[in-house]
Amino acid sequence: MIFLGNLFAIFRKELDSYLLSPFFYVIACFFWLISGYFFIYILANLTQDAAQVDQQGVLTSGIDLGAEFLNSYFNVIISLLLVILPALSMGLYAEERKRGTLELLLTSPITNISVALGKLLSVVTIFLILWSPIIFYQSIAFSATVPPISLSTVLLANAGLILFSTAVLSLGMWISSLSENLILSYILTFILVVFLWSIDLISHNLNGSLGDFFSYISLFKNYGPFLKGQLESNSIFLLLSYIVAGVFLTTQSVEALKK
Amino acid sequence: MIEAQHLSKIYGSTVAISDVHFSVAKGEILGFLGPNGAGKTTTMRILAGYIPATSGTACIAGYDIHQDSLKVRQNIGYLPETPPLYTNMTVEAYLHFVANIKGVVAGNRVQFVKNALRRCQIADQAKMIIGKLSKGYRQRIGIAQAIVHNPPVIILDEPTAGLDPKQIIEVRNLIKSLAGEHTVILSSHILSEVSMTCQRVTIVSQGSVIATENTDSLINTMKSTTIYQLKVGGDFNVVKESLESLEGVTKVEFCSEASFSMLRVSTLDRDKNLAKDLANIIINSGLELYEMTNSRPTLEEVFLKLTRQDL
Repeated sequence: MIFLGNLFAIFRKELDSYLLSPFFYVIACFFWLISGYFFIYILANLTQDAAQVDQQGVLTSGIDLGAEFLNSYFNVIISLLLVILPALSMGLYAEERKRGTLELLLTSPITNISVALGKLLSVVTIFLILWSPIIFYQSIAFSATVPPISLSTVLLANAGLILFSTAVLSLGMWISSLSENLILSYILTFILVVFLWSIDLISHNLNGSLGDFFSYISLFKNYGPFLKGQLESNSIFLLLSYIVAGVFLTTQSVEALKK
Repeated sequence: MIEAQHLSKIYGSTVAISDVHFSVAKGEILGFLGPNGAGKTTTMRILAGYIPATSGTACIAGYDIHQDSLKVRQNIGYLPETPPLYTNMTVEAYLHFVANIKGVVAGNRVQFVKNALRRCQIADQAKMIIGKLSKGYRQRIGIAQAIVHNPPVIILDEPTAGLDPKQIIEVRNLIKSLAGEHTVILSSHILSEVSMTCQRVTIVSQGSVIATENTDSLINTMKSTTIYQLKVGGDFNVVKESLESLEGVTKVEFCSEASFSMLRVSTLDRDKNLAKDLANIIINSGLELYEMTNSRPTLEEVFLKLTRQDL
């Protein structure tokens, strides 16, 4: 009970801190503008292509426009999130270290794990706030697709994206705990996430168990099934592992600061 | 209430503190005095549970800092050297947050925050954003966060650093008002500061405790010392031994100028004025005495004497 109370206190403080920061609104505007633009752009392109195919006398009934749109749009969004998410996580601990408030947290009767979970929960909530307009756009677009796209596919794509983002934010939180430099924290998180994202490409050029291992830990590879509407336990397990690893490494890194 | 037992902290090959030991009774204010780099902050951080000691331990409110770290942290209020403030929060919201993580139950939180605001005289700034307040106010908010959960032990690391004289007096009075109800340990590198706030003082230098005394006895030691400055002509070496053997003289220093010498004679003469004896020795030795003045050492001179090994 005390654990949850402390976790909620950290969560509230972090959430207020994001919502009071002009930086959050700059990030939000940037994300909403770019994601909104691509939403219209991809939707218009796909509709135009389908119309052209129709005019040429080929039936479009065989093309699943909804799935096509979902695939294209979410891949663009993922690329955008690789830039946005490190910016959300970079200050989680680096800022505390920079202004000396970590000393307050570490000398208070709260555990490192409740601080880390409270912070992660708050930054995931911030991400969900950013993501909420996109859910609204999707509900409009997908309700009008012919043939209709299955609700489970859309839900799985969204759930996968949230899981993916939580994993990135969790790793970003760990990197944020390593230094008090926000820019360094951003750059290192970006490099790590891009590496974990693109490691699938490297795995194609590697044979044997190393190639299999790289393929197994790739974020791209494990996000893929969600986009296809497939619920794969391996992928869920790996993304959850990234989240747990991020939290665990954060607590260890903070504990090491006390030495 | 605080019992530090042979605390040592070693970073690689650097010894930050070595065998630090002292105790603070319930309701007492202890000054932890030492020059910069003496190990004050390291000791404060160990007591606050921020870093562990390499060896030795301490008991705070009956709990061991290593074995019962969480219990210790419940029983202390800690103000680090830089007040740990969230500058984007209002004073009130910040204190509510601190009270929350310090374990004050929800029903009592409003009252505890009100008390802290009142005691630190910042109630009129409760709705202000911390980042917009002056350094003096920020320091008081730092102290308010240390007392907001009404802990039995308060640890203050350089609480008056960087404040102007008026703010120093205000913070000093605030700390004094905590005595009795709370046990306070505060670190400082200014002896006059400690002497005005604390009942006892532990002096540290180069990571080790070199003295623990009542502030009053330290001031008495200071008062019982007189330093005579003499300007004499002639070879002063002839009087050196005579001066040093005079009862009450603790130290004789010489400084030669072109045509005269300056003698600095430190004496412990609580009841005796040695001016006449000193003058007699000089004149009887055939030297010329041009000038003699006497003065008491300042608190800072006593502090330097205690903390400098070459003296």
